[in-house]
Amino acid sequence: MQTLVLEHDPTPVPIVRLSDEDLMGRVAEGEERAFTEIVRRYQGRVTNLVSRVLNDREASEDLAQEVFVRVFVHRRNYRRGSKFSTWLFTIAANLAKNEIRRRVRRKNWFSLDALQEMLGDSTIHLADPTEGKEQSLQREQLQQAVGRAIAAVPEKYRLALVLRDIEGFAYEEIGVMLSIPGGTVRSRINRARGILKRKLTPLLRREGVS
Amino acid sequence: MNCRQARALFGPYWDDELTQAEREWLEAHFGSCAGCRRDYEELTRSLEWMSELPRAEVTPGFADRVLAQARRRTPATDRVPGASPRWIPVTAAAALLAVLGGMVLQWGTGVQLVHHSAGTTLDQPVAIQPEPVHGTKQAPVSGLVAGATEIPDSLFDHADDVEFILDPVTLRKGRAHTVVRGPTETPRTEQAVITF
Repeated sequence: MQTLVLEHDPTPVPIVRLSDEDLMGRVAEGEERAFTEIVRRYQGRVTNLVSRVLNDREASEDLAQEVFVRVFVHRRNYRRGSKFSTWLFTIAANLAKNEIRRRVRRKNWFSLDALQEMLGDSTIHLADPTEGKEQSLQREQLQQAVGRAIAAVPEKYRLALVLRDIEGFAYEEIGVMLSIPGGTVRSRINRARGILKRKLTPLLRREGVS
Repeated sequence: MNCRQARALFGPYWDDELTQAEREWLEAHFGSCAGCRRDYEELTRSLEWMSELPRAEVTPGFADRVLAQARRRTPATDRVPGASPRWIPVTAAAALLAVLGGMVLQWGTGVQLVHHSAGTTLDQPVAIQPEPVHGTKQAPVSGLVAGATEIPDSLFDHADDVEFILDPVTLRKGRAHTVVRGPTETPRTEQAVITF
């Protein structure tokens, strides 16, 4: 007589080792620990995306919070099998887009001219790099100028630019997130890069890049 | 190729998506065109600056705040783990089986249970033999109509019990099906009778 022994590992997989998709399966059933783990994994990237698109660090956390709240509220709309990060950043991109438009409507946002003016000012006030003094301040000013240059890129190009060149998503993923074809994603990103470069040209030349 | 065509390749070159032939051509062009070389250097520096921007960080307690907000925005019934609890269909199936079991038991005894009572005194149910069915239509309904005034107004007097004949059902893969039996079988084997 043969005895068949089925080995069973009773140890559950630690939540930190679960894939995003498995976590979302648990979130869909209302498991809050899984949701907290999702937030922990993506809070930095989502906040950074929103911050760069809006060029508003203070508002970015509130908007990032809203992104995750919507993930939880609409958790059952997530289709298992699809990549979670694509779904998450689709929500983030849509909310960022809405926020930009809301700000434009309320005229509580920088106009393109004002941005150009500010960018010009910032380049003028940058310290001479040959002096080698106050380098941290200089770096901070450079970062502010770059942030404003990104914000000066038109919204429909800006989102694609940030998703690609800051967050590092593939063109195909960005196409899904923005609901546009891959060819359109490429053309938007190329346009955005060209605009960004033109905005930063005075600074680049001052820095002696070329 | 000219400078315009070369600039169209800047993006794919940065993304490392050019073919070997395109790459070689563009690099050769850079060697002979200072303008394109400078433009490409400015582009790459711009993108490097952008990618070097400090990443935004959330303040401590962010996840807790998100969770609290998510709870507020979610209906209480929706927060119960397993919003589609499995016990509901299981319990429903068990209840249905219990009812069916009761019906089968009554059918198996071949009797009807009638509460024989009078006044406010509750007696034990008395088993009585069912009246034979002669294939002719009985007239309990017409009898009821004709003798409507004779029906005693008492909760406990069931002298004129009304019979409800239910088709037996069985469970098959979680769904209820009416049992279809052959015409040769007697009515007793295919019907459950509940009297009250």
